[in-house]
Amino acid sequence: MGDKNYSYTMDIYPQEHTEETRLWPFFENLKQGKLTTTKCNKCGHVFWPPEVVCPECLSDDLEYVDMPKRGKIYAFTVQVAAIPPGFKPPLVHAMIDFENGIRIISPLVDTKPEDVKLGDEVELKVVDIPPDSHGDRVLFFFKKV
Amino acid sequence: MRKVALVAGGVNKWGKRAATFRQLVAEAGKACIDSIPTVSNKDIEGFILSTAYAERTGIQVHPAPFMAQVLGIRPTKLYQHVENQCGSGTTAMRTAWWAIASGYIDMVMCLGVEKLLIPSHDEIFFNASAACDKEWEACFAMNPPSLFAMAAQAHMRKYGTTEQQLAMVSLKNHTHALKTPYAHHYDRYQKRGKVTLETIMKSRLISYPIKLYDCCTNTDGAAACILASEEKAKELTDKPVYLIGTSQVCAHGSWTLAHRDWSEWPPLKMAAKQAYEMAGIKPEDVDLAEVHDCFTISEIIETEEFGWCKKGEGGKFVEEGLSDYGGKVIVNPRGGLIACGHPFGATGIAQAYEILLQLRGEAGERQVQHAKIALNHNLSGLGEHHIIIYKKGFD
Repeated sequence: MGDKNYSYTMDIYPQEHTEETRLWPFFENLKQGKLTTTKCNKCGHVFWPPEVVCPECLSDDLEYVDMPKRGKIYAFTVQVAAIPPGFKPPLVHAMIDFENGIRIISPLVDTKPEDVKLGDEVELKVVDIPPDSHGDRVLFFFKKV
Repeated sequence: MRKVALVAGGVNKWGKRAATFRQLVAEAGKACIDSIPTVSNKDIEGFILSTAYAERTGIQVHPAPFMAQVLGIRPTKLYQHVENQCGSGTTAMRTAWWAIASGYIDMVMCLGVEKLLIPSHDEIFFNASAACDKEWEACFAMNPPSLFAMAAQAHMRKYGTTEQQLAMVSLKNHTHALKTPYAHHYDRYQKRGKVTLETIMKSRLISYPIKLYDCCTNTDGAAACILASEEKAKELTDKPVYLIGTSQVCAHGSWTLAHRDWSEWPPLKMAAKQAYEMAGIKPEDVDLAEVHDCFTISEIIETEEFGWCKKGEGGKFVEEGLSDYGGKVIVNPRGGLIACGHPFGATGIAQAYEILLQLRGEAGERQVQHAKIALNHNLSGLGEHHIIIYKKGFD
């Protein structure tokens, strides 16, 4: 945050704190265990990823709404090499479809790669970013129900 | 609008190079200018630098003036840096095309470069992830192998495409590169012999079903081309190659916003149709194609969306040798991104240079016979496609 030693250009994680992003409520919700996204109060569009302007009608009158609790796996792959820093193989990437039409791509955790099937239901698993990298931050991973 | 021609090109040696970013630029720029006796570095009025990672591995912000200076080029009408990740090269060529076609400038050099092989693997993979949506995808460890792996699985499920058919794309392209001395893997072939289907099938898994040999190669490399107006081109060469069709489609950036079924690539189909219409040609008129085989599955889906085979039959198309010499359309005669390597900013420009050699009949051992029309395609993601079609401009 105010840390002069924080290496901003080598940080792959999102900026989450109130002083660096206008989407800080999204991350606050996440810390409460809630995955949300932005809905446009003018045209009603519910969209992903969250933004500060509606990409349909360009209104900036937006609110946070809850994502459905569960999604279904449309596709997945188990990555064992060429893994970005901060992650360890095997990494199960999944495309997750939600009933509101939104698709999110995120890794599965607490799930054995051999147990994953297409169509499996998954739910949110909030994961802490390692604490040495710029304070208290979280990511939204998923796990098999 | 004036007609625009490709009049010269050049590449340097690609691979793990003991050379910096600007030294790669110097080598390829010199090769290009040396190849055309009628042009000197002092004649070049416009310079477009195509590179994706100038700020990360250069390490150079606003790189165009420094790289022009390395070659003694002092642009008087146009200089800029363009960046569209894997499609940067084609983007540069299109930009030069408009500038010349409009009548504003007569001659432009496009130079593409990338320095990718840096010591830290973490940094290499960080850079790869940075090309995905930084705020919503890259931070979840998404990078190209896993994304194309999911496209491959979708195609395998829907159309019965096999891992062996994926491997056959790699085999074809590695075999083509046996005759491409600048290719990243060329020296290895000399030492260890040609790549076999067995080597490819048994190569280590990256992200199922993508194995090491299904992937293009990170490499250091550069390439340059010179474009000129028709009138100028006639002064400079008796073997011009004309740019006759182009398209660019950006359906989305984030992969989560892509169309639902990843076995189909509608944005590419749309781009192909536009480029064919502008060029006034049909799919079967294309003699050779330099398409974006970032992964084997990409080439399979591309041969379908370009209309060279029926949708779903891309696996069969390569298996039957129809994308190889003697087939319907020779795909990636220099060995593609898989065997030459993929220095992002340089790729599209090296592909254009290959097309120049092929349409001039100067491609040596890898010459495609009687080639008149060639197509160049790059993608920068599932929904981002860049196409240029070229035609031989002399008898």
